[in-house]
Amino acid sequence: MKAILFALAGLLAVCLPASATQCHVNPVTIPKEWVTMHRNCRMSMRQQIQMEVAASLQYLAMGAHFSKDIVNRPGFAKMFFDAASEEREHAMKLIEYLLMRGELTTDVTTLLQVRAPERKTWEGGVEALEHALLMESAVTKSIRNVIKACEDDSEFNDYHLVDYLTGDFLDEQYKGQRDIAGKASTLKKLLDRHGALGEFIFDKKLIGIDI
Amino acid sequence: MKVIILAVSCLLAVSGALAADTCYQDVSLDCGQASNSLAFRRRSLPRCNAVYGEYGRHGNVATELQAYANLHLERSYEYLLSAAYFNNYQTNRLGFSKLFKKLSDEAWEKTIDIIKHVTMRGDEMNFDQRSTLKVERKNYTVELHELEALAKALDTQKEIAERAFYIHREATRNSQHLHDPEIAQYLEEEFIEDQSKKIRELAGHTTDLKKFITSNNGQDLSLGLYLFDEYLQKVV
Ligand SMILES: [Fe+2]
Repeated sequence: MKAILFALAGLLAVCLPASATQCHVNPVTIPKEWVTMHRNCRMSMRQQIQMEVAASLQYLAMGAHFSKDIVNRPGFAKMFFDAASEEREHAMKLIEYLLMRGELTTDVTTLLQVRAPERKTWEGGVEALEHALLMESAVTKSIRNVIKACEDDSEFNDYHLVDYLTGDFLDEQYKGQRDIAGKASTLKKLLDRHGALGEFIFDKKLIGIDI
Repeated sequence: MKVIILAVSCLLAVSGALAADTCYQDVSLDCGQASNSLAFRRRSLPRCNAVYGEYGRHGNVATELQAYANLHLERSYEYLLSAAYFNNYQTNRLGFSKLFKKLSDEAWEKTIDIIKHVTMRGDEMNFDQRSTLKVERKNYTVELHELEALAKALDTQKEIAERAFYIHREATRNSQHLHDPEIAQYLEEEFIEDQSKKIRELAGHTTDLKKFITSNNGQDLSLGLYLFDEYLQKVV
């Protein structure tokens, strides 16, 4: 008997407030003609956002590696932690663009996943810089694919998004890649004769100390 | 006599209670072998590191701290999605979006800070490490209405704060192998103090919003939500 009462009370507790208080405004409909992004373009943008998130995590792992006591490269650590935050901002910029175009009213929860980065140790600064350069090249290639997907749609050429990705994102990618490539070359030249000294000096330079 | 001193110092080294001289021993051992400098390179002074107070050797403080970074990382990106959801043209609650964006930014900064602290103590970061307290969340969604989302944020901030309590408790156990005042004070200063304020703030928001929703037989609902969002835009 008691059990039945309990069950009843539980049922009431669940059902009653639901019918008693409405906590949210009912959805409204407004014209949707202005929401024009097409499926392929949308899907490739979503993948791109996930890629930026993955890059942010990989850079976090690089920052963690160069922070270790037995590695002790605070300059590299700072550079990679900053890069991680930049990748997160790239993801946010792409999300903001989708929102501006009337997207992300549904399927928001599945937009990104946090997965542990694949790699967590590097032989030294050069190897990490070269890894970063390969990663950025992959990102650039992926952005070009987003551009293709948004441009080649036979029914809808998404001029504005293509312009945004070309002007803003590709611009930053190419400049970023050049920066990393320059750093990798300089460091590699330094290491040619004076391995330990070269990386030490380069690391201090990264953190703003001229020796 | 010399033999006795050596024996005593070896005994001390083995007992492990004192880490004080072990790096020096590594150095004098390796630097003494002038004939074989290869050995020096290969061993690379294994005990010359940042580990002290038996960090990571007993208990779970070290792994829980790694897991704490991962918790912040996951929550940071979840908050980011909530911020996005409230910023779409249908929900269009910019104040709520701003609130979640701020929570996301804070959790992201803390993630980096904890990772730095993990390495400061001579440990390395493991991005797969999860807490023993971790509860799998089912049917997680960021697509919630205003009060639900605030409630979820309040619960999440409590989860993060209670996790700090747990690690603090593990770090302050009355045992010479587990007691770690450095971690305890790090948690107190960088987490515990602010967390109480943030939880109070969110609880206050839910109180206000609940009143708006229920008062006047629910007639104030749509205007109340609108006003509260405007208010959040100003104060967050
Ligand atoms: Fe990026």
